[in-house]
Amino acid sequence: MNDPSVLTIHAPGVDTEALVRDIQDTVARKQQQGVYADARIARAERSNLVNLRDDESFTGFYLTALREASAIDINDFEIRERRARFAPLLVKLKKSIWNLLKFYTYRLWSQQNLVNGLFVTGMESINEQLTSRIKTLEARVAELEKKLDGR
Amino acid sequence: MPAARRIAFICPRFAEQGTVGGAETLLKALAERAAADGREVEFLTTCATNHFTWENTVPAGTRSIGALKVSFFPVDDDRDVTTFLTVQGRIDKGVKVSRADEEAWIANSVNSRALIAYLREHIGRFDRVVMGPYLFGVVYAASQVAPEKTVLVPCLHDEPFAYLSIIHDMFHRVGGLMFNLEPEKDLALRLYDLPERGTVVGMGIPDAPTDPNAFARKHRLPNPYVIYCGRREVLKGTPILVAYLHAFRERTGRALDFVFTGSGPIDPPDELRPAIRDFGFVDESDKRQAMAGAVAFLHASVNESFGIVLLEAWLSRTPALVHANGVVLRDQCRRSGGGLWFRHYPDFEECLLRLLDDPSLRQRLGESGRRYVLDRYNWTAVDRRLFAALDGGAA
Repeated sequence: MNDPSVLTIHAPGVDTEALVRDIQDTVARKQQQGVYADARIARAERSNLVNLRDDESFTGFYLTALREASAIDINDFEIRERRARFAPLLVKLKKSIWNLLKFYTYRLWSQQNLVNGLFVTGMESINEQLTSRIKTLEARVAELEKKLDGR
Repeated sequence: MPAARRIAFICPRFAEQGTVGGAETLLKALAERAAADGREVEFLTTCATNHFTWENTVPAGTRSIGALKVSFFPVDDDRDVTTFLTVQGRIDKGVKVSRADEEAWIANSVNSRALIAYLREHIGRFDRVVMGPYLFGVVYAASQVAPEKTVLVPCLHDEPFAYLSIIHDMFHRVGGLMFNLEPEKDLALRLYDLPERGTVVGMGIPDAPTDPNAFARKHRLPNPYVIYCGRREVLKGTPILVAYLHAFRERTGRALDFVFTGSGPIDPPDELRPAIRDFGFVDESDKRQAMAGAVAFLHASVNESFGIVLLEAWLSRTPALVHANGVVLRDQCRRSGGGLWFRHYPDFEECLLRLLDDPSLRQRLGESGRRYVLDRYNWTAVDRRLFAALDGGAA
């Protein structure tokens, strides 16, 4: 006793499927440009358990974001002062503090970068190994099922 | 089969005051419509209001609430919670459990011997017994009292519990099935290998006049905002929304706030706290005004069988943004043309940027959603489907 209107109603004017497809294309393009290689996204995605469970490609995406975000920028940077008053003096003070700190922080952060890089490489390697092992096992299961069906 | 003139409705909780939940709201609304149609209706429920503790907080007995005669029965206090949680944990992890374990799980779920005894004693008075949702002990036990008179309103989700053999048997046992949406029905037919049966009924969503500026004006909200209404739980996807909005604000620098109505903890990171506006329980009118002023209604749950709040947001002309893995909500967005869906954060960011930057898109989506709800979920249309389903046994 189903109402046929359940299946036939479509709102005129907005094709959301086409719109979402367009959004997904834009996202794919931006993804290639590295727009989403951001530790903040990796952090936000921790809550998206559905994708962690179901979407194989998500692990790849997560690892890419992790790799992009793991390298800490330890290069020199421009030192500025927002307060107009005593600005040149404050900039000089900040520069001299930075020159003192740089020697120690460089050593610290370069080691941290090394650890981060090794960690991400390790994760990628584990992912590759597991993916390949699962594919082999799936192929084997399929083969065995085929043999059983043939009996 | 006789017309359904005398009907018992059964739901583990009764939707009043602080007790909110889609299934409870649905069962109560259907019972009220049947009563308004001149049918003799009795609503059987438990004394519990909290769906975590199931403590008996409402006095047992019969009261008239609105047009309904509501009978409250105590939840059994001798359930073995350890057994229940142990088996539930295994089911939840996707472990195949034995039939004996399944039965131990449902026996130690929320049950009420008093309610079942009352139903057995008075079953002769009822032409139909309408009950739901599917995964509670009290509903499971009630479905065995007079299966031929039973119409199950399952509110079915694609979740590990739905795959149990006892649930399979319940779907085969009952005389009729009433679904909220086509995807829910498709899921049931697929999971339980049923022949074409059951009726899609849904629920009417009353319209209410709204002013998109009223809520922001009343509460002096300085920034545009997105909104979520309902329970805040992991299963409802609220942690994802909070995490995504945090990332969105940091990455885009947009001053976008997040309005919440409903109950439960939100637990945002400290930096996001100033952007979170938690209004707790608000009345229907305030909720609709809040929805009307929002850039989008967000819903990241992947376990919905209907999505009442989504439909209310559309009536307020507010577009929706839902999780792509939520089959039902995504299907509603697709059918209505009233909302978009995201798979992960990048999709979420792009969707939200478009909604923020394109007021005409927002308006078109909101209007499409509103038209869909007015056409499909007005009470006249729902009543027609409901009464036909009740009289025909929803077979």
